[in-house]
Amino acid sequence: MTEGAAVVLLADDEPWLSEALAFSLESQGLECAIATDVSSAVQTLQSRRVLALVTDIMMPGGPEFPKVDASEAGFYLIDLVRRQWPKLPIVCLSVIGDQQKIRSLTARGIRYLRKGETPLSTAVDVITAVATGRRIRLH
Amino acid sequence: MAELAETQKTTNQYLQNVAHQLTAPLNAIKWGIEAIKDEKVTISRKMRLLSSIYSQGTILVHLIKNFSLMSNLEADHELGQFREQPERVDPLRLAINLANDFQPQAAERGIKIDIGELSFNHVFGTKSLLAVKNLIAQALSNLLENAVKYADLKTSIAVQATFVTLAPGAKTAVGLAVKSIGLPIAPEEVKCLLNRGVRGTAAKQRIPAGTGIGLYIANRVMEIHQGTVFIQARGRESTFSLVFPESRVK
Repeated sequence: MTEGAAVVLLADDEPWLSEALAFSLESQGLECAIATDVSSAVQTLQSRRVLALVTDIMMPGGPEFPKVDASEAGFYLIDLVRRQWPKLPIVCLSVIGDQQKIRSLTARGIRYLRKGETPLSTAVDVITAVATGRRIRLH
Repeated sequence: MAELAETQKTTNQYLQNVAHQLTAPLNAIKWGIEAIKDEKVTISRKMRLLSSIYSQGTILVHLIKNFSLMSNLEADHELGQFREQPERVDPLRLAINLANDFQPQAAERGIKIDIGELSFNHVFGTKSLLAVKNLIAQALSNLLENAVKYADLKTSIAVQATFVTLAPGAKTAVGLAVKSIGLPIAPEEVKCLLNRGVRGTAAKQRIPAGTGIGLYIANRVMEIHQGTVFIQARGRESTFSLVFPESRVK
């Protein structure tokens, strides 16, 4: 059962970064939910209407997924979301060194934003567009 | 050759880890500032972002101090003497000040840091600890930082002064102990945790990024004070103590 307003789900174990992003997205009228591990992200996906998932790669699995490799848990979450919620738009906000992995994400229609190099305003534009299905042109 | 390649790989992974540790707070600071500049973000949220930025700054300073100490400590160790002179340190005051530093991070996780004032009075009375203040402050900070990171949500961390007997028949020593409830530490892992770059399995699972130098530095600091870091782990309860010889209580 889904409750409350639709949200953008931010999955990252660094809540300070998510908080800054959430405050900016919410100032644009997009409500956010923050999850700091795979378990709480899945819980939110099951209990709320989610417009888009923004996920980091390195984060804990949490109590429901204790065996997931924390260094690649975001990939696990992305695969799980693709299976159970195939239409949900996904943005990957992380630092991935392996170009092959980035190509494989983008080939699956997932937007990749590099943490630390993407200005907050750009991230907000991309996530807003992905969550609302609006087309954007990035400079 | 294979060994060299393996060492190179480990070093690269370590450096990547260090880079991640340093950039993560900076990224949060950058985005925090950008969000503050957003006119539509409310004042109360801007205030919250400001305190997060302050917290991230504290984390960064603490981390950089650890890295800079690492090389200095090796040199001190080889020299067999301190770069800085030991002084009389009030251990209770030190514990209170450091606990205040970590209070904002602890509050984020609903954790309370309790200083056992009576235990300090009992162990030290009116005496001080003869030690290099900067070094033991960093060592105690490292224990507190770990406790705040790995304790269960909404629990209490106790900072206490204790009398410690490290082995049967050994002289009584004094300890500054940080006790918390949280991640279990496997008995076979306890003795490895003081090695450079080593992190517990459960710790890596809870927080994937980490340098594994906090306890190593704390122990190095204690060694040059003729002491040690003593770890007691039982189930989810763990106590990390900085143990000083009683001769340092003056």
